[in-house]
Amino acid sequence: MSDHPAPAGERAPSPRADLLTAAVLLAFSIGVIVLSAGMPTFTDKGASLFLAPGIVPGFYGSVLTLLALVLAARSIWRGALRGDRGAGTASGAGDRAGLLRLGIAVVLCLVFAVGLIGLVPFWLAVALFVTSFIVIFEWQPGLGASARVRPVGTAVLQGMIAGLLVTYVFQEVFFVRLP
Amino acid sequence: MNVFDNLQMLGAAFASFASPMILFNVFWATLLGIIIGAMPGLTATMGVALMTTLTYTMAPNSAILVLICIYVGAIYGGSRSAILLNIPGTPASACSTLDGFPLARQGLAGRAMGISTTGSWLGTLFGTMCVALFTPVLGELSLSFGSYEFFWVAVFGIVIAGTLSGGDPLKGYIAGFLGLFVAAIGQETNHNFPRFSFGIKDLEGGIGLLPALVGAFGVAEVLQVMRGPAFKVVSSKVDSVIPRLGDIVRYWRTILRSGAIGTFIGIMPGLGEDTAAWTSYAAARRASKEREKYGKGSVEGLMAAETGESACVPGAIIPVLTLAVPGSAPAAVLLAAMLIHGLNPGPLLMVNTPEFLYQIVAMLIIADMTKLFFGLTLVKPLLWILLVPRERLMPVVFVLCTVGAFAITSRVFDIYVMLAFGFVGFVLRELKFPMAPLILGLVLGELLDKNLLRGLNLSAGDVTPFFTRPISAIIAAITLLSILWSIPAVSRRVISLFQRA
Repeated sequence: MSDHPAPAGERAPSPRADLLTAAVLLAFSIGVIVLSAGMPTFTDKGASLFLAPGIVPGFYGSVLTLLALVLAARSIWRGALRGDRGAGTASGAGDRAGLLRLGIAVVLCLVFAVGLIGLVPFWLAVALFVTSFIVIFEWQPGLGASARVRPVGTAVLQGMIAGLLVTYVFQEVFFVRLP
Repeated sequence: MNVFDNLQMLGAAFASFASPMILFNVFWATLLGIIIGAMPGLTATMGVALMTTLTYTMAPNSAILVLICIYVGAIYGGSRSAILLNIPGTPASACSTLDGFPLARQGLAGRAMGISTTGSWLGTLFGTMCVALFTPVLGELSLSFGSYEFFWVAVFGIVIAGTLSGGDPLKGYIAGFLGLFVAAIGQETNHNFPRFSFGIKDLEGGIGLLPALVGAFGVAEVLQVMRGPAFKVVSSKVDSVIPRLGDIVRYWRTILRSGAIGTFIGIMPGLGEDTAAWTSYAAARRASKEREKYGKGSVEGLMAAETGESACVPGAIIPVLTLAVPGSAPAAVLLAAMLIHGLNPGPLLMVNTPEFLYQIVAMLIIADMTKLFFGLTLVKPLLWILLVPRERLMPVVFVLCTVGAFAITSRVFDIYVMLAFGFVGFVLRELKFPMAPLILGLVLGELLDKNLLRGLNLSAGDVTPFFTRPISAIIAAITLLSILWSIPAVSRRVISLFQRA
C-alpha cells in the first residue's frame, strides 16, 4: 500500500538525517505526553477515569517516544555519529536543479492558495496561477521575443481554459462551492 | 437469506444503475480513473480523494459508483505507463514494469497492453465474485467483535501496513501512529474536550480527513513530480491490443492463483494493490515452467501482476463493508466517502442494508466492463495523454486539490490543512516514511480511540481482556509476530531455522 511513486535512482536518507528526524520526533512525542497528562479527567464530575480525554493521545505519545528512541538508536548504530559515514553524499547538479524546481513550485502554490484565492475571482486566480506556472517552468533563457510568443500564448490559453472550465464544471455541473 | 434473494438484490442493483445519466457518469469516471492511473505522479488514492470531495453533492449511490469507477480505472491505468515508459503510473503497477516494458521494447507493446487489460479485467471479476461470496460470511463473523477486538483490528492495520508497505517498517509504524495522533486532534466524543486545539476554533472541529488526504497525496505528489526528472515515452508504436484467447487458456492457473492472492491481500487491513501484485508475481514465478523468461518479457509474469493488483481492488472493499476497516489506501478514502454520504459500512451492514453489498458488486462489475471497453479501444489517445508535460499538468492538479479541499465544508481553513499536509507529506516522503500507514492511521483513529476507551471502561482499567478474549488474543499475537518479523535479525534467524530443518 505504498501509494506514492518512487522516482528512479532515489536514495535512502543518511543515518544523520534519521537521527535528526528521531530527535524532532522525540521532542514532539514528549510534548504530546506532557499535554495529554495535563488534560482534565472529569472525574470530579463523576466521569470514569478510563474515559479521560488524555488517555488515547498519551498512548500515542508513548508509542511514538519508544519508536523515536528505536530510530535514534538504529541511526547511531548505522554510523550517524561517525564523521563522514553518517552525513550521506553531497548534492549533485541534478539535485540542485530539482531543489530549485521544488522551491519555485512551493512559492507558486503558496501564492495561489494563500494570496490569490479570495483576492480576485476564482477563475482569474486559476488562470493566473496556471499561466505563470507554465511560463516559469517552460522558460528557456536566450530565446528571442518572437520565439517566446507561441509558448507564452499557449500557456495563457491553457490558463484561461483551465480557469473557466474548472469554475464552470464544479460550480454548474457538480454544484460545488468554490473558494 | 437464500441464493435467490441474493440474486434478486443483485438484479435490482443493476436495474437501479440503468439510467443514461448514471451510465454517462460511469463512462467519464472510468476514463478519468484510467487517465489518472496512467499519468506518473497521479495515484488512485489521490484520484478517489479528489473525486470524493467533488461528488459529495451527488446522490450517495451515484457518488460511490463514480469513486469505484475511478479506483478500478486508476489501478488498471497505471500499467499503461509501466509498459510504455517503464515508470509505474501508480505504485500498484511497479511490478508490471518488470515484464511489460521488456515486451514493449521487443515491439510487443500492444500485446503487453492486451495482456494487462485481460489480466486486470479477470482479476477484478474474480475479486468481485469473492466480495459477493465472502462479505456475508465475514460480516457474520464481525458481529462477534467487541471493543477489544476492534482495538486490535486498528492496531493490526497500522502494524501490517507499516511492515509490508514496501519501505522501512519502523518508519511505517511511526507514520501510522502520527496518523492516529492527527485523528485525535479536536473534540473527543465523551466530554467534547478539544484536544490539541490551542484555542483555535477551526482545530476544535478536528482535522478534516479529506483535506488531509488531498494534501498528503495530491499536493505532495505535485511537489515530488516537480522535483524529479521529466519522464520520456520510450515506445510510441503499438501493435494490436486485442487479447489472445490462447494467453488466457494457457495461463488459467496463474490467473486463478493471482486472483485468489490479490483478493486475500486486499482483505488484509492496510495492505494494497502493490503488495498484491508483487506477491502474485512471486508466486507465479515460483510455480512457472518458464521461469527464465521472467523479467525479460514474460506474458505469464505480466498476467500474474495485473490479475493480482486488480483482484485486490474488490478484496480491499471487503473489510470496508464488514469491519469499516480499509484494505488499501484508496479503499480508506472510499470508506471515508461512504461515511460522508451517511452509508454505514461495518458489522451491521449485512443486518440493516444487505442490498448495499449487492449494489457494490454491481458497481464493481459495471466499472470492470467499462474498463475493458476503454482498455481495448482507447489506445492511441491514452498514449497522447502520457505525452502531456508535467509543467502543464501539475498546476491543474494543484487547482483541483484546492477545490477538493475546500468543497466539503467550504472552509478556507481546509485549504491550509491541505497545504500543511502536502508539505509535511512531501518531507516525510523525502525521508522515506511510507504514506499508506499515515492515511490508515487517520482513518482508523476514531475506531481505535473509541474502542480503547470503551474496552478500558468496561473492564475498569484492566487490560487483560485485550489479550485473553479468543479473537483478541489471535489478532494480538499476529500483530506481535508481524512486529517481530519486521526486525531483520529475528526474521533472518527464523528463516535459517526453517532452512536447516
